[in-house]
Amino acid sequence: MAGAQDLFDPIVMADDRFHGEGYQEGYEEGSSLGIIEGRQHGTLHGAKIGSEIGCYQGFAFAWRYLLNGCAAERDSRKMKVLESLIGMIQKFPYDDPTYAALHEDLDRIRGKFKQLCSLLNVQPDFKISTEGSGLSF
Amino acid sequence: MKDALVLLGRVPAHPDSRCWFLAWNPAGTLLASCGGDRRVRIWGTEGDNWICKSVLSEGHQRTVRKVAWSPCGNYLASASFDATTCIWKKNQDDFECVTTLEGHENEVKSVAWAPSGNLLATCSRDKSVWVWEVDEEDEYECVSVLNSHTQDVKHVVWHPSQELLASASYDDTVKLYREEEDDWVCCATLEGHESTVWSLAFDPSGQRLASCSDDRTVRIWRQYLPGNEQGVACSSSDPSWKCICTLSGFHSRTIYDIAWCSLTGALATACGDDAIRVFEEDPGSDPQQPTFSLTAHLPQAHSQDVNCVAWNPKEQGLLASCSDDGEVAFWKYQRPEGL
Repeated sequence: MAGAQDLFDPIVMADDRFHGEGYQEGYEEGSSLGIIEGRQHGTLHGAKIGSEIGCYQGFAFAWRYLLNGCAAERDSRKMKVLESLIGMIQKFPYDDPTYAALHEDLDRIRGKFKQLCSLLNVQPDFKISTEGSGLSF
Repeated sequence: MKDALVLLGRVPAHPDSRCWFLAWNPAGTLLASCGGDRRVRIWGTEGDNWICKSVLSEGHQRTVRKVAWSPCGNYLASASFDATTCIWKKNQDDFECVTTLEGHENEVKSVAWAPSGNLLATCSRDKSVWVWEVDEEDEYECVSVLNSHTQDVKHVVWHPSQELLASASYDDTVKLYREEEDDWVCCATLEGHESTVWSLAFDPSGQRLASCSDDRTVRIWRQYLPGNEQGVACSSSDPSWKCICTLSGFHSRTIYDIAWCSLTGALATACGDDAIRVFEEDPGSDPQQPTFSLTAHLPQAHSQDVNCVAWNPKEQGLLASCSDDGEVAFWKYQRPEGL
């Protein structure tokens, strides 16, 4: 009797088996497509952050050069904030996208940049993407 | 409780517009009001009447949302939806705009002066809180831009004696900030409200903070220093803040403002149901779990939303309120017998 049961098993279970195999194949294909899409999205997003920070860095370096020429007593705060911004930019972990405080640090850089603009009395002519906190899918 | 709040007077402060906020000068002799008509008005008494002493009209292009007097009483700051904050200098009855603070990306929602008078805080719909330093020559320099909130920041208030700043936001939280090595840092986040936190008020000692919200509750938070006897955990060297009391079931709409009287400790609220309410701490209630009783409730204090309540800093029980109906009302609060 047990043998007869085994005989019918593959037929009875075929549904399950094909379903399982189909799922597995689909899952693998979906995963690889997802990875590609995710990579593209990440590259795009990372590039945005990179260009934003690069912009701040260029701004900071240019102003450091300008202020160094005529470092007056009253410019000491400007220099301090400038150095602090450059320090934050240099410390930013560009190689580690999984860094937990990435957005927090980015927001701190943005804040420091705004403070610097206010102290220098200049208005940045480029728009900062305010939707920067958190990924938007 | 019936006659606990008696109307002393009512003035059409910002006709055909909303009156958003009120601030008493430190001497308690002048009241500043601001509104949707882009103006700030200064009110004082003449005999028994409240009259408009000055109008500050050249300064803002849009709604003036909040005003704040400097601790010396010689300066007035006004925060506007035009993204700027104006500093006005008082010369007798005249006010002159001496500085315009720019930097916020959009609507400035609130402004507050630190007790020393050397620091000023502003907050905005751009989600940031700015701290400004004032020098002897009336020059303002930004000392920090804080991006801790994830949404619109509605209100900022300073601790009554320390350089500790609190902000309330549309992200349902309250955040506290202190100075650290040339910069300011967020040192505490108070979570508990289930909707927008509209306003904040420290108690006279600064040990407790009251917050009011769109969730129709008032929460009282208490500061616990590291190593406190009650065993409230502190994450680091910073004090931690714990909600020790929630006043719920009293308000039927959003609570827009809260004021903690520095003279009597009475707590007044301004509500979207047009009412003004006053609460007092029950005598002998446990400081770790205080209870408050409603001691005054005036259902139709104004014909529309009440936006602000402000206790006079010198005259006990003198309360001013303002509303979407454009009016400012003055009230005499009488503490009920037996309390």
